[in-house]
Amino acid sequence: MSMSRARTRKRARMTVVFAGLAMLGVSVALALLAFEDNIVFFYGPTEIVEQGVEPGQNFRLGGLVKEDSVGLANDGVTNLFIVTDNNANVEVAFKGILPDLFREGQGIVALGALNNEGRFIASEVLAKHDENYMPPEAVEAMKRAGTWKHTQEEGN
Amino acid sequence: MFKAFLSLLKRDLVMGFRQSTDLYMILVFFVIAAALFPLGVGPDPAVLGRIASGVVWVLALLSILLSLDRIFAHDYEDGSLEVMLLGPQPFIILALAKTLAHWLSATLPLVILAPVIAIMLNMDMSGIPALMYGLLLGTPTLSLIGAVGAALALGARRAGLLMALLVLPLFIPVLIFGVTVIDAALNSFSIRPHLLILAALLAAAIPLAPWAAAAAVRQAVTNK
Amino acid sequence: MHKFANPTKFMKVANALFPVFCIGFIGLLSAGLYYSLLNSPEDYQQGHTVRIMYVHVPAAYMAVMIYAVMASCAASSLIWKHPLADLIARSSAPIGAAFTFLCLASGAFWGKPMWGTWWVWDARLTSVLIMFFLYMGYIALLNAFDDPQRGVKPAAILALVGVVNLPIIKFSVDWWNTLHQPASIIRLDGPTIDGGMLTPLYIMMGAFTLFYLMLLVIRLRAEFAAARIRTIRILGEG
Repeated sequence: MSMSRARTRKRARMTVVFAGLAMLGVSVALALLAFEDNIVFFYGPTEIVEQGVEPGQNFRLGGLVKEDSVGLANDGVTNLFIVTDNNANVEVAFKGILPDLFREGQGIVALGALNNEGRFIASEVLAKHDENYMPPEAVEAMKRAGTWKHTQEEGN
Repeated sequence: MFKAFLSLLKRDLVMGFRQSTDLYMILVFFVIAAALFPLGVGPDPAVLGRIASGVVWVLALLSILLSLDRIFAHDYEDGSLEVMLLGPQPFIILALAKTLAHWLSATLPLVILAPVIAIMLNMDMSGIPALMYGLLLGTPTLSLIGAVGAALALGARRAGLLMALLVLPLFIPVLIFGVTVIDAALNSFSIRPHLLILAALLAAAIPLAPWAAAAAVRQAVTNK
Repeated sequence: MHKFANPTKFMKVANALFPVFCIGFIGLLSAGLYYSLLNSPEDYQQGHTVRIMYVHVPAAYMAVMIYAVMASCAASSLIWKHPLADLIARSSAPIGAAFTFLCLASGAFWGKPMWGTWWVWDARLTSVLIMFFLYMGYIALLNAFDDPQRGVKPAAILALVGVVNLPIIKFSVDWWNTLHQPASIIRLDGPTIDGGMLTPLYIMMGAFTLFYLMLLVIRLRAEFAAARIRTIRILGEG
């Protein structure tokens, strides 16, 4: 009697362990499925242009500052620039102080909304730093040697 | 084993509904707390609409927190847990049954009430289905994590406060994805990846949380 | 006292190593500070601000490592009921919490000039903040019971539950498009930090590790003293 009880107990425990492991497998599968789509801190210009986001909806826009696109508006305080992912472009207007790392070709993330003309009115602009740390001389040397590769330009 | 699961589920549900004033009080808390926001941040519909998704989710978290002591505390005090631990069934199954009973009796009413609150806070209609999907996938995870916190705090001084401290940080991932589901829907982006993550969190919590809760209950009962 | 027989031996070794930790820490810290503040290159984009990294990265590394130590000790205390493991976990928690705080604070000081904000709610920052809360919860749970021994097991279970957060911290920058930069040191194709910056970084990591070991020995001594006082008091009452 006690023998069979111990056996059922053991079998129940095995069932629980296998069911638990199966659930963990399901969890991993679901997470992998989710990561096939892009879960993002920000949306890129291509997504914005393709999705046709409504004016006034707040979201984060991420991309590279287009070369030779940075300027000031007529009021003298509003920064104007274009954010690109080398496919689509979004015009951005930002009234405020730009971070130190903000420069042309650099990755940025801006929080704001589109206005009726399709321009992105940013309330906050953040500069995204990449994982490369090196002295300026090393960058110069790599540029001369042609081995310099800016990770941001590979598209984020 | 399945029979034990069902009979414990039934017992906890019956006991829960017998003390239904507790459940009403939690629902009333949910509504009152939500009513504070228009009064606190001002009645501007645009502002309210923008914060509605976060407010509903945060209030749901807090309301769930209030009911967590129902999962184990009564059975701990009257000694029922000791009997359950001595039984032939793996306690992890019983912990799962108790958590499911908590979700059905204390959390599901909040989920059903949530769209009303969302409309009161002027959330855009396109966000309501996303809110419901998110809550339906997310709140069971909250009950499961909450069961771990409730089991860990058994027998502690100021158990309710301690539970909040332990459980709220663990709620954060569910909150994040629950809110991004709504934001994605409002901005007509795909809600699928966020819902998949919520489902993945749930699938991971179903085996792991009762396991941790069972371990915590076992040590609490043996060291009572 | 037979319960502490093994830990006594452990403490003998720890006490013997203690001066080594102290001297090593002072030596590495001086070298690390010299290199990181005076004798390492500026970054091509960040300028001198890159020097914050020499505190930030080692602090982050210590925060995660100490959590891992604490969780492994929690596991061995639950499985093998090793009293020493409890003491190490309990003594490590406040040190880990302090390193986590240092990591968050130094990150904010770097983020303000570089990103343009003190704080963003991206996956890396949020998951580290959750780890800070887990440290806090662990300490609170440990001290929440009238019987000081009663909190040991619940706290150990909580530490193990929190382990799910560690891979999230490590991989958050790869899984999500975060504002925080991706991994620079531990990556498949080797570090992306220039050698002139990597050396002071490693020295500072070594210094921080020795600092942890030093504090750990001090805290363990205090724990043993407290246990002895408890025993004496019980004997005196009995």
